[in-house]
Amino acid sequence: MTCFEFRRLLFAEPRRRTAEQEEHVAGCARCAVASEEALATDVRRAENVFIPVPDALPDRILLQYRRPVARYRIWAMAATLLIGVVLGAQLYRTYDTAKEHVASAAALPRDNPAVAAISFVLDHEPRLLKENRTGDPAVMLAAFQRLGLKQPAGGTTIRYLGKCPVPGGTGDHIVLTTPHGPVTLILVPDYPVGSRVMVADRDLTAVAQPVGGGGYIVVGESPQTIRHVERLLM
Amino acid sequence: MLAGKQAQFEKLIRAYSPELYRYAYWLCRDRFQAEDLLQETFARAWKARDDLRDEAASRSWLYTILRNERARLFERKRFDYDENQELDEIPDPATDIARDCEVRDAVRALPLGYREPLLLQWIGGYSCAEIGTIMNLTVGAVMTRLTRARIALGRAERSVKKGVAR
Repeated sequence: MTCFEFRRLLFAEPRRRTAEQEEHVAGCARCAVASEEALATDVRRAENVFIPVPDALPDRILLQYRRPVARYRIWAMAATLLIGVVLGAQLYRTYDTAKEHVASAAALPRDNPAVAAISFVLDHEPRLLKENRTGDPAVMLAAFQRLGLKQPAGGTTIRYLGKCPVPGGTGDHIVLTTPHGPVTLILVPDYPVGSRVMVADRDLTAVAQPVGGGGYIVVGESPQTIRHVERLLM
Repeated sequence: MLAGKQAQFEKLIRAYSPELYRYAYWLCRDRFQAEDLLQETFARAWKARDDLRDEAASRSWLYTILRNERARLFERKRFDYDENQELDEIPDPATDIARDCEVRDAVRALPLGYREPLLLQWIGGYSCAEIGTIMNLTVGAVMTRLTRARIALGRAERSVKKGVAR
């Protein structure tokens, strides 16, 4: 390394020395002196840029950047409150059905979803249960999710899973075994089921409940059984 | 998950805000602008926190964000350096720097293209190669700028000494 090359590197980085520079400075007194001087000058000059930092600067920055998080928390709280109100309203409505009018099937058209469901359960379900077929659980779960419903738990098991006709298309046909006896749940995520109606026909009771763009139908032995399953869905 | 990232980010703020503030100050040459710039830098970094794959690179990452934010906020464009800019373009200390010039004034008077690598070396402790990465320059270009910056500072100091001697 020549003195020129040494000094070129020295002026660019006085505080670092490559192995070649170390070797050169060991044998060149003038460059060794220049190196010491350059380092001292650089340190003295650099001290000037270390200006005082304002007090509590990191704390002020933290407050600033937390703002979006704070907003996020406010939104989360608002969403929680809204969900609470919706659930409360839903529960109120569910309990309110204790006094709900149970219509006679004769008073409703045959293509009413609840009436059609009772007919389907009575006419076709015994045969389907004997066939012991099981549908796709993923499809069923997707239907629950699309309707914003929970899969019934609390001592309830799925006995049968398949498809069934509903007015306007097909639904997911689920037969549940509950502590209150067998219950048929039909999920209709893609077709409207009209306004809520509870109907009694022969020995069964059914309710059709709109949810989102579709709805569900529950068929059981009594209004109490149906209400029990409806609570499990919420 | 978010709480963990927040805690990690708070550590970054506490560890690097002093040196980043100094860097911002010497870029803007204004304390209020420097603090605003630092706020914006960390706000931007928080939004882009998922982009940081290597925690060891977080310091350089913050320096880069600060540079880009400065360009966005105060220049409305990215830094463009003219590789052909000559040392002659650096203000003549005898005329452009006050007679009672100190090193700070001399640093303040350096064109940004010369001032910035010097600040990265002094405040950040970065090597020429690292400065080149941050500024998107070759190592050779960084070395040239640093050398010219030091020559300009030397000139300014000599000019002050002459003024005092008169």
